Amino acid sequence: MAGREAARKVVHQVRPLLSVDKDEARKRVINLYKTWYRQIPYVVMDYDIPMSVEQCRDKLREEFLKNKDVSDIRVIDMLVVKGQMELKETVEIWKQKGHIMRYWKESQDPKPTDFLSKFFNGQN
Amino acid sequence: MAAFLRTISSSLRTGLVGKTIQPSTTLSAARFSTKAEEPAGETRPTVRKPDEVARSHLTDFGRYVAECLPKYVQKVQLTSGDELEVLIAPDGVVPVLQFLKDHHNSQFANLVDIAGLDIPSRENRFEVVYNLLSLRYNSRIRVKTYTDELTPLDSAYGVFKAADWYEREIWDMYGVFFANHPDLRRILTDYGFEGHPQRRDFPLSGYVELRYDDEKKRVVCEPLELAQEFRKFDLSAPWEQFPNFRNANPPSETIETKK
Repeated sequence: MAGREAARKVVHQVRPLLSVDKDEARKRVINLYKTWYRQIPYVVMDYDIPMSVEQCRDKLREEFLKNKDVSDIRVIDMLVVKGQMELKETVEIWKQKGHIMRYWKESQDPKPTDFLSKFFNGQN
Repeated sequence: MAAFLRTISSSLRTGLVGKTIQPSTTLSAARFSTKAEEPAGETRPTVRKPDEVARSHLTDFGRYVAECLPKYVQKVQLTSGDELEVLIAPDGVVPVLQFLKDHHNSQFANLVDIAGLDIPSRENRFEVVYNLLSLRYNSRIRVKTYTDELTPLDSAYGVFKAADWYEREIWDMYGVFFANHPDLRRILTDYGFEGHPQRRDFPLSGYVELRYDDEKKRVVCEPLELAQEFRKFDLSAPWEQFPNFRNANPPSETIETKK
């Protein structure tokens, strides 16, 4: 019964968002990454953020690697679409400095992990 | 002292009565005449009664649409007495809207609004509702379709130019992707905002809060920390809210269509 249910789920056809197979989705992701990568020097210059180009590239890599375990093609496509929109907002300078600096989360202290600092923070 | 007051008040009363005897008769006569004209008091609540002729026209038109587009129309119904709704498959958004816009006997040339609905318990959790208006026939129709988080809907921009911003709004609030939209991007939320606020699983307080940081001289974004958990209050009353509207129009009636 469970097997049949699983089989039914496998053959359930869905409408693709953009890509029809994994290679195409992968190509889109790499394309987006490259575009961001090439745009970073201009972003640093235009927004006048207190970060170097290398730091921005590290952050870009980090943001992409956050979703490295996503395997559903449609989810990948959705993330690419959102990344594309974000890139456009950045390139067109619709965003402001604060929006760019939001990626670094500078004002947030890392959460305490050991007992004593948790105790000092009033957490338990 | 009390006796003195009593005498004064009684004298006042008699004086007043003596003075007003004459006009009081005329007043009462006038009151009588108005009372005769006044209709019987309204006891039933003012529930809008649907016009039977309009209802039958709408029913016929709904049946006609279902017959013309049997591939896409899944159900036709009348809600609150006299509002026609056509429930269609998600593939049929563009053909159905094109049909309703261009058919000579409907001419729904105006797209009034596109609304979204999120019911997380359903398999296709989002409902997208197109409200159309026909100025030619002074009539409205509602086209409903459904989708989920990852299934794209066809953009209605090719049929109605007005769909541009409405679809951006749906995208921003619910995260429904519209394929072939010319300029799909956020419209209501701030740049850098994550999530879709009208989804039922988006918390009322949001995930982040913004504040001005004096040291950094800019607005910073931090995860929200509430001193107390958001509490769920049960605000529903144990008694019936609108007993007078118990016999109001039914929420929806299905129109039988030939299959």
